Amino acid sequence: MAEGTPDIKEARRMLGKGICIAGVGETEQGIISDRGSFELLTEVTRTTLDDAGLQLSDVDGIVTAFSFVESTLMHSTTLADYMGMKPGYFASVAVGGATAPLMAVQAAMAIDAGLAEVVLCVRGDNTRSGISSSGMIAMAREMSHGAYEAPFGLTTIGGYGLLAQRYMYEHDIPQEALAAVVATQSEHAALKWNAMLRDAVTVEDVMADRWIATPFHAMDCSLVSDGAAAFIVTTEARAKSMKKKPVYITGIGEGFSHQYISEAESVASVRDGLGRAGRRAMEVAGITPQDLDVAEIYDSFSFTPLIALEGFGICGPGEAGDWVMEGNAKLGGKLPMNTHGGLIRQAHLGAMHHIVEAVLQLRGEADDSDKTEFNGGNHQVPGAKLAITNGSGGILAATSALVLSSEPPSAA
Amino acid sequence: MSEKPAYTKPLPDLRPEDAPFWEAMKEHRFILPCDDTGKPFWYPRKYAPGTLSATSWSDATGNGTVYTYSTHFIGPSKAYKGDPPHIVALVDLDEGPRMMTILVKDEDGYPSLDPENVQIGMKVKIVFDDVTDEITLPKFTPAG
Repeated sequence: MAEGTPDIKEARRMLGKGICIAGVGETEQGIISDRGSFELLTEVTRTTLDDAGLQLSDVDGIVTAFSFVESTLMHSTTLADYMGMKPGYFASVAVGGATAPLMAVQAAMAIDAGLAEVVLCVRGDNTRSGISSSGMIAMAREMSHGAYEAPFGLTTIGGYGLLAQRYMYEHDIPQEALAAVVATQSEHAALKWNAMLRDAVTVEDVMADRWIATPFHAMDCSLVSDGAAAFIVTTEARAKSMKKKPVYITGIGEGFSHQYISEAESVASVRDGLGRAGRRAMEVAGITPQDLDVAEIYDSFSFTPLIALEGFGICGPGEAGDWVMEGNAKLGGKLPMNTHGGLIRQAHLGAMHHIVEAVLQLRGEADDSDKTEFNGGNHQVPGAKLAITNGSGGILAATSALVLSSEPPSAA
Repeated sequence: MSEKPAYTKPLPDLRPEDAPFWEAMKEHRFILPCDDTGKPFWYPRKYAPGTLSATSWSDATGNGTVYTYSTHFIGPSKAYKGDPPHIVALVDLDEGPRMMTILVKDEDGYPSLDPENVQIGMKVKIVFDDVTDEITLPKFTPAG
């Protein structure tokens, strides 16, 4: 079957317009039972507009995702109405964990097509406090086949577990490699002002935790949280009059390998499918993995970033476990990864926070030491100029990746 | 004869195109959908994936090999509460396709296989678990 064959030059032409992220925002994360879904989205929109130095009336496009709590088939326009906007461009993106980077791509394409100039990309939900039982079932069904998987008692965690156990078998990966991802990210989350889990844990702590589905202990799994995050996509020309230094989107890429985990051909094919997203994004940006300063890699489970690091070519096949155990992913290491703690330690909002954190890193603003009321710390990678970030929907089914840069693409 | 307790775990979504499979399962026959070259595929669809040729059905042995598994200590719904861990597996059938199943000790009440008795690469064979009057699930147990 024909794979998507994107035109690298055409992607470069589009991004060459100076497509950039000019503002970011995130709310507190965790259990926020006193605020509804649209309220959280509006709260973070206010923060993000303020970050960019914009009024709501400056925004002419809106890209949202979906809600497990507020049922609407027209999420973007429902939110636009709630906030009192009349956007010229609107889209709701729903590809599970791949949604956030795809929202950025959607915004870039809308700007390129002349449909909008300042696009608000916003996602959030009170998933933890407000989820209905039908919402929970919908979430589980998104991952498993209703006839040929669900009747066997598959959970989403176990679905990832199936792939992870085969990966560990083929490459002789120890359980400690998964735990090392959690321990590494826990050190980073301890510094991030709004991370839900602020205590640093050790490999031994993770290994001693209760089993959920092999090979995952509870600490290997991502969190369920309430909260919201947003970013504003615009052009370099428009960003000039805004408050913050723009962060450029210099690479985009997507990759798909299967929908249901039963259909995944092999560990290698999954790695290649999701890896294609990152490899294409780097090709469009004209960079190699060695050029990266920071990596905000989707981490639905401790295993997830390992196979992504390999797929993107940052590590060889089966080598990511050792790479993390050697400390390369830590702040101060070769390529600090998930400097905000990720889905495992900060909060779960798809890949929204990965994008926000990458932007903060490239602006040099990832030092939360001044947030004394939240006991924040410095998680800034000194002089970070280039970042990769991604999100994956399903069980590593569909992946979207971005390369972000502090410099415009022409100078890259 | 003791009455079986009501089955409260997830049952398959039924679609018209799946009827031949579930009807055969009810008769304890295991069949696989095939494309127009006779090549079997999984999961069942009216038209073969990739070529969209009309599906035909052929008998299968029900023998296979464990490709991978995950021992679930928590199930997807309340119906699993209090159960011992269950092992969800992907089995490579001798005919080629890979399918999801659950590994059981034997046919005597279909108890879950003990986690220490499973490994990747082990040979397994199908057992037919009549979970309701209408639905028989294809479960697998160690072969020989």
